[in-house]
Amino acid sequence: MRAISVVACAALVAGCSALSTPTTPSKVARAQARHEYPAPPPPAATITGGGAPGAVAAIRTFAEIYINWNASTVARRMLALAAGSVGQARSVVALAASETAGDYELRRGGIANSGAVEAVAPLPGRGNEYIVVTRERTTATNSSAYEGLAPAWHVTLASAREVAPGVWAVSGWQPES
Amino acid sequence: MRTRQTRNGGAIVLVALCAGVVLAGVGGALLSLLVASSPSGSCGSASAGPAAAIVLGPPGTGARVGATEYGGPGDPSSGDVGASGINLLAHPDSYAELGGYTFQSATSMGGLAYMTPLRVTWADHSAIAYKRDFGFGGPPVAGLPRVIDLWWEFASRLGIPYERGLWSGPVRIERPPGTGASSLLGQAPTGSADAASCPAGNVAGLPLTPGPRATLLSNGVAAAPAGAPAAVKGMIAAGNAIAGKPYVYGGGHGLPLSEIAPSYDCSSSVDHLLYGGGLLPAGADDTSGTLESFGQPGPGRWVTIYASYGHVFMYVAGLRWDTWNAAGAGDGTTGIGWHPLVRSSAGFVARHPVGL
Repeated sequence: MRAISVVACAALVAGCSALSTPTTPSKVARAQARHEYPAPPPPAATITGGGAPGAVAAIRTFAEIYINWNASTVARRMLALAAGSVGQARSVVALAASETAGDYELRRGGIANSGAVEAVAPLPGRGNEYIVVTRERTTATNSSAYEGLAPAWHVTLASAREVAPGVWAVSGWQPES
Repeated sequence: MRTRQTRNGGAIVLVALCAGVVLAGVGGALLSLLVASSPSGSCGSASAGPAAAIVLGPPGTGARVGATEYGGPGDPSSGDVGASGINLLAHPDSYAELGGYTFQSATSMGGLAYMTPLRVTWADHSAIAYKRDFGFGGPPVAGLPRVIDLWWEFASRLGIPYERGLWSGPVRIERPPGTGASSLLGQAPTGSADAASCPAGNVAGLPLTPGPRATLLSNGVAAAPAGAPAAVKGMIAAGNAIAGKPYVYGGGHGLPLSEIAPSYDCSSSVDHLLYGGGLLPAGADDTSGTLESFGQPGPGRWVTIYASYGHVFMYVAGLRWDTWNAAGAGDGTTGIGWHPLVRSSAGFVARHPVGL
């Protein structure tokens, strides 16, 4: 008996609902039901293209080398980056190469960094400037300092210059995080 | 939004909340207790808001604090959903910062950013947890400010016995070192990601020099490498500010490091430089003996402290900071300041700040 009553009530409610409820409730009705006002649509995206393909490729390659190394390879990789870059970027990685060549802390800890380049996107209206997003993990074979740390995203401002027709080199490298 | 209470030892708080009328008084008293019991190793307590109890320093300068646990089958009132709306069961490595009813007001650790990682150590177990929640908190735990609430699954991972959300005890919390290539290579902006870190020294007017090493100028101050991290520049600026001060055994101790003392000894002068680099809080007062365990073992890339029970000196960007001309002729003045020569480090323990 109880089961029949429940089924009958359910059918009644369902029928009433089908007859009286608009299929697409107004924004105000939805807002009243949810106690919130609908947000306005976001402005149109301002993506202005993917940038110069040569520049993007150069920055992506540079970033992949910059973030993937261990204590015994880091100085060599930074030197290689310095050889293939120009301007401020060259200074940055040349300094990194000299500092890491005899870095006791990196070697003693067996520290390594690895990751992937998640995005290289042009900055609208900023010429050959790009924002680079990487996701990196740091590990150490002889230290517990990095144990349990999840991979993290990092952002770098980069720029590239066409040093010869069709040949691009990274000219600016400014890590922001 | 959920504003979970810390239950353990917090019965008074719950009663106060129910009564409503006495909430302000009890809350104020508890917050006063929190502020009053700020531990050493913090970076001061006044600037982070009314509920602040500690402000964590940079990696290597952790603090022992009071902790509680929450959630789990024996604590149904806490539920499974964090204040940000995420399911904590899907993120068992979570903690809550205590001290208020919102993310903005729960600032007992200085107002850490959402998802800030902390290394939490209990007994001999250590693990990383991420901030995903907040809580009101309660009175001190074992005399320590109650600043952190551990999600029960994380507490269990540390070996903390599950007591249905009623466990409380001291833990050690510490920022992990920065990760990522830019941080490891010293090229990420220093301190920009976390306003709660210790204040770096004023580097206005600091002479700069090209190359990776600091140089001693004829007037006794040091020029910092132009490309050095901000912390290193801050240390050099702090050293320049006290170079030439008279050496007095015990001098400088007992005064806030933010002040210039009339005299210094070896450890108080090293403390002053570490404060200038944002590596010690203003209230720190380390001796040469305690500096034997500062930071991490071994020489650093930019900074190396050589400490023993009876003396401490250091190298900052290759330039020695010492209180006497231990290397003999040509090693500068006999007083506190920069010394151009390398001296013997036999009998000293080498330490360095994490990341430097």
